[in-house]
Amino acid sequence: MFMKSRFRCSGSFLKTPIIACLVLFLAASLSARAELLIRITEGAGSAIPIAVVPFAESGSMPAGDKVGSIVQADLTMSGEFRPLEPSKMLSLPSERSEVYFRDWRMLGQRYVLVGQLTRNGDRIQARYELFDVNQEKRILGETAAVPASNLRSLGHHISDRVYEAITGAPGVFSTKLAYITVSGEGEQTRYRLQVSDVDGKRSKVRLESREPILSPAWSPDGKKLAYVSFETGKPVIFVHELATGERQKVADFPGLNSAPAWSADGRSLLMTLSRDGNAEIYQMDLASRNLTRLTDHWAIDTEAAWDHADRGIYFTSDRSGGPQIYHMERPGAEPRRITFGSRYNARPRPSPTGDYVYYVHQRDSAFHIARTNLETGEETVITRTGSDESPSVAPNGRLLIYATRQNGEGVLTVVSADGGAAYSLPASGGEVREPAWGPVTR
Amino acid sequence: MKMSFSTKAFAMLLSAGLVAGCSSTGENMEEGTYGSDVAAIDQDGGSTVYGGADGSSVSASELTDDERRAAQEQAEQEALRDITTFYFDFDTSEIKPDARDVLVAHARYLADNPRQQVRLEGHADERGTKEYNLALGERRANAVQRFLIVNGASRGQIETVSYGEEKPAVRGSTESAWAQNRRVELVFQ
Amino acid sequence: MKGHKRDIVSTGKAPLKSPVAVSVGLHLLVFGIALAGWSWNTPPEPEPRSISARLISPAPRPTPVVEEQDEADKEQERKQAQAREREEAERQRQAEEKARQEAERKAQEEARRREEERRQQEAQAKELAEKQAREREAARQKAEAEAKERERQKAEEERKRQEEAKRRAEEEKRRQEEQRKKEEAERQRREEEARKEAERKRLEAERRLREQQLEALADQARQEREAEARRQQEAAAARAREAQMLSESEKYQALIRERLSQAWYPPSSATENMTARLQITLLPTGELASVKLVGSSGNTAFDNSALSAVRSLNRYPIPDNRDTFERYFRQFTIEFNPQRLR
Repeated sequence: MFMKSRFRCSGSFLKTPIIACLVLFLAASLSARAELLIRITEGAGSAIPIAVVPFAESGSMPAGDKVGSIVQADLTMSGEFRPLEPSKMLSLPSERSEVYFRDWRMLGQRYVLVGQLTRNGDRIQARYELFDVNQEKRILGETAAVPASNLRSLGHHISDRVYEAITGAPGVFSTKLAYITVSGEGEQTRYRLQVSDVDGKRSKVRLESREPILSPAWSPDGKKLAYVSFETGKPVIFVHELATGERQKVADFPGLNSAPAWSADGRSLLMTLSRDGNAEIYQMDLASRNLTRLTDHWAIDTEAAWDHADRGIYFTSDRSGGPQIYHMERPGAEPRRITFGSRYNARPRPSPTGDYVYYVHQRDSAFHIARTNLETGEETVITRTGSDESPSVAPNGRLLIYATRQNGEGVLTVVSADGGAAYSLPASGGEVREPAWGPVTR
Repeated sequence: MKMSFSTKAFAMLLSAGLVAGCSSTGENMEEGTYGSDVAAIDQDGGSTVYGGADGSSVSASELTDDERRAAQEQAEQEALRDITTFYFDFDTSEIKPDARDVLVAHARYLADNPRQQVRLEGHADERGTKEYNLALGERRANAVQRFLIVNGASRGQIETVSYGEEKPAVRGSTESAWAQNRRVELVFQ
Repeated sequence: MKGHKRDIVSTGKAPLKSPVAVSVGLHLLVFGIALAGWSWNTPPEPEPRSISARLISPAPRPTPVVEEQDEADKEQERKQAQAREREEAERQRQAEEKARQEAERKAQEEARRREEERRQQEAQAKELAEKQAREREAARQKAEAEAKERERQKAEEERKRQEEAKRRAEEEKRRQEEQRKKEEAERQRREEEARKEAERKRLEAERRLREQQLEALADQARQEREAEARRQQEAAAARAREAQMLSESEKYQALIRERLSQAWYPPSSATENMTARLQITLLPTGELASVKLVGSSGNTAFDNSALSAVRSLNRYPIPDNRDTFERYFRQFTIEFNPQRLR
């Protein structure tokens, strides 16, 4: 072709062919020198190997779990990391000069976290550094200090920082969980509303009752819990301030008072009331206690939750014959059905990242947690256990906690939002149910 | 349709009641179609009936046929009203046919006793979500309440509450346990 | 030129029959004989003048022995020598006398013998002469008779010969006539043939020319085809090489893609919009020489994950063929862009 163009060009003084020649020549030369391009569109799909080296300690340290093991457990729970067993480490560096990247590379580790703890009076100071083994460069290097009694918080803080540095997403290891435990039988039955660290540790009872407690819901600022209590013999909604222990009865209407859900500004609650004859969804302004009715259908409408935009709501309704998930774009709009793949879909919990909605989903005769991709409509079951309830999404949208049964006992399980890794929280004795994942508070 | 033990007992009782009623009527019929004063003489277990009322030493209560029927009915009704738990199929609040008579009995009773209060406690089995089950329990209780009202009870007598899946009658994750937990309980105050 | 000479030698008559050659040969012969004769007359060794051919070995002459002596003894020596010499001379004289007498005697004897020999020789010669005369006579007579016979024979032969000659002449004449006729016919035939031959040759030449032309054309066409085929073959080979390089490069691209995928941990916050572009430079061993972030995704964690993945490979799979390596894998670009298949 090049020859042909030359032939065309020769003996001609018109502009166009010359330009054509130049273009062709350029094109030919460019294509000859075009570089190979390889596109990588998929990753390993497995957890990132990371070495959390036990921190060096100077001074007396409180009894209990070491900071390193807290970080290790947190990162493991996230499902995104695979921390190396300390017994396999070839060395225990605590600062950069002691880090031999080749050793860690050989062990297949992508990151190394090292640190030092120093007791200073009743405070503990920490200095920690995170290294990228292959790039041989430091990604994170910080200090922090906590009261000695709060070492666990330090561990969770470091987990957050490490998680963020590597994944770019906020860590949720400093968040809290609220849940209900039941113990005893008959007259001795006790229900307890408890709040703990995200790993189930440092659990504190906030309410104890002989009657059922349901549906704990965190206020957006993490300072209050709304829940349903049967202590008066019927379901009543309370708002409970954690710091003081003070609580207020906010809904005690005839019939149901249930399924409280906070708005993003913390000023109103969605709730299910049957004061008008059957279960409908209302919005209550907490300051004025004014009610706005949002649904109007003879079917059961309950379990409402604000969507990612905080403009519309998801809820459960059996208006089509059995419970299904619906979305109302804004209060008063015509609800649109979201789930179709099963005759029982209930309790929607949209992800804070706005891409999925999670819910309880019946398949065959088992109840799983499933999620629907809000863009494609595709539904995926994400749990392998079969009597699952109460999904609650972590604030970064990457993890999900839910209640299930294990060996006849109610336990809580954390899974990756895509159903990858699962991590059971250590059983605290007795039945555990109704987990609610607290917000990130800075 | 699944029948729990209580239901079967109830059914048997009902049949027994019916049969009992039948046999009385049958015997009456056999001996004649006249009034009870003729047939009363040979009745077993019954009190001796003489024509007309008098002040004899034998204080036998004298019952007319109507009264006896009423008494029998009342016995039936009482027997029926022994049943205070009504069961439902999964995810429905539909009252089963064999519960109707019982509920009618209750309704009548309530109607006859306007000051009688009753609380209807609605429940659901453990499967599914708690809040939805709470609403489902309520719906069942409401269904029973509607039925009672339709059959004579007044709204003021009835209180409903739902415990959802929180207070199972039978613990366990078996079909049997679930079936026994899908219920509405009548609690007379 | 060689051929030309050869041509000259091969045409014409045989070399032996040419007159020039005959004369040369004769000359050579004569020269040869002369040379041979010359060599024959040359005596094998020179005769000594003083000694006759028959001299029988005389008494050996004493060879004077000269010895070197001292000056002192010389006088005495000389005297002695003189004495000896006188004696010697005497002896010699006597010896000579004896010898002379002897020689005389011998000479007489010799003369006598010679005389005898001469006489014998004469007798022999006479006898020989007589014999020879007789033989000569016989021979002469024989020769005469033979000559007469020969003459007669000759006359006879002559007569026969003449007759024969006459006959032969006639025959010859006839034959020549025939010959002439034959030759005539022959000549005509030959002419005819020559003509036909010429014609045939012309046709032949024409045909051959045509054939040659066709052949030349066919040849040319064939050469062109071959050249074309060769060109195409080369082009195909080049394409195949190119394709092989490409397919090989594709194979290794796939390998690299697989290895990097397995080594890449995209951060969970990654979205499908994020693309990190890295320029890779490899050593011929497959090891990473350098990596440069030429296109950031805008997200540090994402960029780092790509850099970490690229650096985590100890050795990149590269083709053995050095050309393919240089062309495609010495320096290339990798794009990290997650596509979730869910």
